[in-house]
Amino acid sequence: MHIAEGFLPPLHAAAWMAVSLPFVAVSAYRVDRLMREQPQIKLLLAAAGAYAFILSALKLPSVTGSCSHATGTGLGAILFGPSVMALLGTIVLVFQALLLAHGGLTTLGANVFSMAIAGPWIAHAVFHGSRRLHAPLAVSVFLAATLGDWATYLVTTGQLALAFPDPVSGVAGAAVKFAGVFALTQIPLAIIEGLLTVIVINLLNQNSRQELDLLAFAPGDVR
Amino acid sequence: MQAIDHHAWTNRWRDWHPAEKLLPAGSLLILTLILPPLSSGPLVLGSMAWATVRGAGVPARALLNVLAAPAAFLVAGVPFLAVSVHFADGLGLYWSPDGLRLALDTTVRALAAVSCLAFLTLTTPLTDLIALLRRLGIPAGLIELILLVYRLIFVFAERALTGRRAQTARLGYVRFDRSLRSVGGLASNLFQRALHQARRMEIGLAARGYTGELRVLGSERALSWPRLMMGMTLVALIGLMGEWLARGLS
Repeated sequence: MHIAEGFLPPLHAAAWMAVSLPFVAVSAYRVDRLMREQPQIKLLLAAAGAYAFILSALKLPSVTGSCSHATGTGLGAILFGPSVMALLGTIVLVFQALLLAHGGLTTLGANVFSMAIAGPWIAHAVFHGSRRLHAPLAVSVFLAATLGDWATYLVTTGQLALAFPDPVSGVAGAAVKFAGVFALTQIPLAIIEGLLTVIVINLLNQNSRQELDLLAFAPGDVR
Repeated sequence: MQAIDHHAWTNRWRDWHPAEKLLPAGSLLILTLILPPLSSGPLVLGSMAWATVRGAGVPARALLNVLAAPAAFLVAGVPFLAVSVHFADGLGLYWSPDGLRLALDTTVRALAAVSCLAFLTLTTPLTDLIALLRRLGIPAGLIELILLVYRLIFVFAERALTGRRAQTARLGYVRFDRSLRSVGGLASNLFQRALHQARRMEIGLAARGYTGELRVLGSERALSWPRLMMGMTLVALIGLMGEWLARGLS
């Protein structure tokens, strides 16, 4: 969930930008070097970035009938790797703010941290962890996407709780409040996204082996 | 998405130098965060709406659509700022006056901030803003990457819409399990086509002597200092008035 423009107090907005900046800078440096070594990879990365944007705009089927969107964090982390996702995710979040007014420029740092850094890294770690434990591909993909989503929402919850501590019960109380609200919608949503990611990876494995081979720069354990 | 982009390219202030729009809107956005929201928020909202609709000639409906985007987030988050929980004896919930004030402040601040963002996106094409990144010392390669992402988004969006329409026509979304399958199919198909597109562009560019740099003709526009100064003065005035109102109110 994107924190809306202007929702965070200035100090928090600035602090989250400072936290996210080194991750994005390292990712940008790596991608820049990658593109200098192999110029043609620029087009591939651009396609990946635009794909991530469209993925996040796809409407998910939802049980309650409300309109909800995929985050694409898990799929992106599995396909492209978290170190590339930090930059691509940031680009996508800037475009979402400027083209759709989802999220914002002042809350960009906080949103980048939850959606382009924490989510992909957790998804990546879960995916590799469960692959190492010899879990089947489908199970690993499901766990990575679902837990990556939950991680994103927990981070957002933490960010909101730190910014708006409860007058009585403090940060912990606020965290319980926000987690409670998000849990209603996000627990089922993340499970739906997990299932969806499994379907996508299975279809890609069946039909797009060649395209997957192009992603040689990514960890690429899908192959 | 198409709506915002459409107005950005067709509004009356489209040909102004992007810095003339970015600097005032950006400073006003920062002021919005710093100043007390209840006094300065409505001022910011009003002046940005005026600049967007009267100045740049963007239809008011488009502006309202952009302002409504974060509404869902505000509706979900704000009531919980006004409610307090405590765990002393079990779980208790009650209204708190401080929380109510905080909820009001946050809503007004967020709406004012979104109006600054709306002004910027509705009057300035993204390519203009991306070109400004060069001034921040972002490598040319990364800027090209960002521009390519921007162009491909519209290509892929059209494919996604077409695919979805085709699936709907084949009853792909009549039941929950079918919807899930359809979205999965759509996402994987789009991925395949996205990478295919990248490969085709690669071959096409290689045939034209691509060595890692895409040269495009940028439109050079002179920065109008009077306009920029006027914008910044207005921003400063809004800031001073907000501060003065806040003193008067308290």
